[in-house]
Amino acid sequence: MTAPEDHSEDAARAGEYALHLLDAEARRAFEQRLKREPHLRQLLREWEEHLALLAEEVKPVAPPPLLKSRIEERLFPAGSGSRRGLWGWFAGAGLVAAVAVAAVVILPRVTTPPAVEPSFVAEMAAEDRSLVVVAQFVPETATLQIQRHTGAAAPGRALELWLIAEGAPGPVSLGVLPAEPAASLQVSAELAAQIAGSTFAISDEPAGGSPTGLPTGAVLAAGAVQEI
Amino acid sequence: MTTRSDIEQLLARTSLGDRAAFSDLYDATSAKLFGICLRVLKNRSEAEDALQDAYVRIWQKSASYAANGYSPMTWLITVTRNLAIDRLRARKDGPADTGGLDNLTDSGPTPEAAAVAASERRQLGVCLDELDDGRAEAVKGAYLDGYSYKELAAHHGVPLNTMRTWLRRSLQKLKECLSR
Repeated sequence: MTAPEDHSEDAARAGEYALHLLDAEARRAFEQRLKREPHLRQLLREWEEHLALLAEEVKPVAPPPLLKSRIEERLFPAGSGSRRGLWGWFAGAGLVAAVAVAAVVILPRVTTPPAVEPSFVAEMAAEDRSLVVVAQFVPETATLQIQRHTGAAAPGRALELWLIAEGAPGPVSLGVLPAEPAASLQVSAELAAQIAGSTFAISDEPAGGSPTGLPTGAVLAAGAVQEI
Repeated sequence: MTTRSDIEQLLARTSLGDRAAFSDLYDATSAKLFGICLRVLKNRSEAEDALQDAYVRIWQKSASYAANGYSPMTWLITVTRNLAIDRLRARKDGPADTGGLDNLTDSGPTPEAAAVAASERRQLGVCLDELDDGRAEAVKGAYLDGYSYKELAAHHGVPLNTMRTWLRRSLQKLKECLSR
């Protein structure tokens, strides 16, 4: 139980952090606490939302036109392997005869998860949190445990889970989520090796999953894989 | 006009590596974010560098945005402002001359932004007004201009520790008022 004065202390501290008023040492200490204390993250989020309203009085100023190409050159150096996204990949799919494959249907989890602690986690959440799915990966057993906390597929539609590995040319389907909220999936060694640094995403697909092996519907939620 | 949900969509697609979406996101938001960099740094060339860093970070971190629960503009503003202030704090020769600040400040929000955030903005305005004299300016100065405690103390002509106490109390009061 947090005493009210502690809460008020934390609220002020989170505000000072948001305003960038803490010195380097206090800032680092606060960041350590942020990792462990969800209520501090909540306080910080509230401050950032409120304070961002102050930025309304800042007049927009068009940056010099060359700046955009400088940013794109930094991010996408010419000749580098392109990190094509779901959409770019899909748009280009006509060029690389996409194999029409039926998506795997991920099986509901009937047993309780093993005692082994997962090492990686990704929370995929829609911005309004109408869909929240958490995937945890246990490298020892190459098992992905999936928990759908909020939301479901639209009637007659399916939610398909995708893995976008770092530097990969496109997404790989992990399968269609079952109707049950808890599911688990055995991941191939090849995919297991790509989970660190990857992003998971969920797209809206026809029942049974994407008919093309590539996402065809809207991406409803996405989240980066974090090491626990 | 770009709505909140347009920006959300662009961010979601950017997080999946969609360069066209990133380009559209830049077009829709860069003027606002550049304004923020200019306001904090008060130096055009440094503001340009900060804006570049901001979009690089936005591209790299857009996937984490989806998980952290921020509204899209708040997240973009927060990322940008933090980088601009890091740059400001890293300056060896202290803050630049604050002249020229006036022409970066508009008289008020744009009509559409005003409509979206009107009630939240009103609440923040009411709560800032409830603070003692000069405290609201200090909070704004810290947020918009990136002033440190030392600079705030100098601006308001009070000792550093007094400024610290003032501002911490003001933040507590503000938080209490905003939670009502």
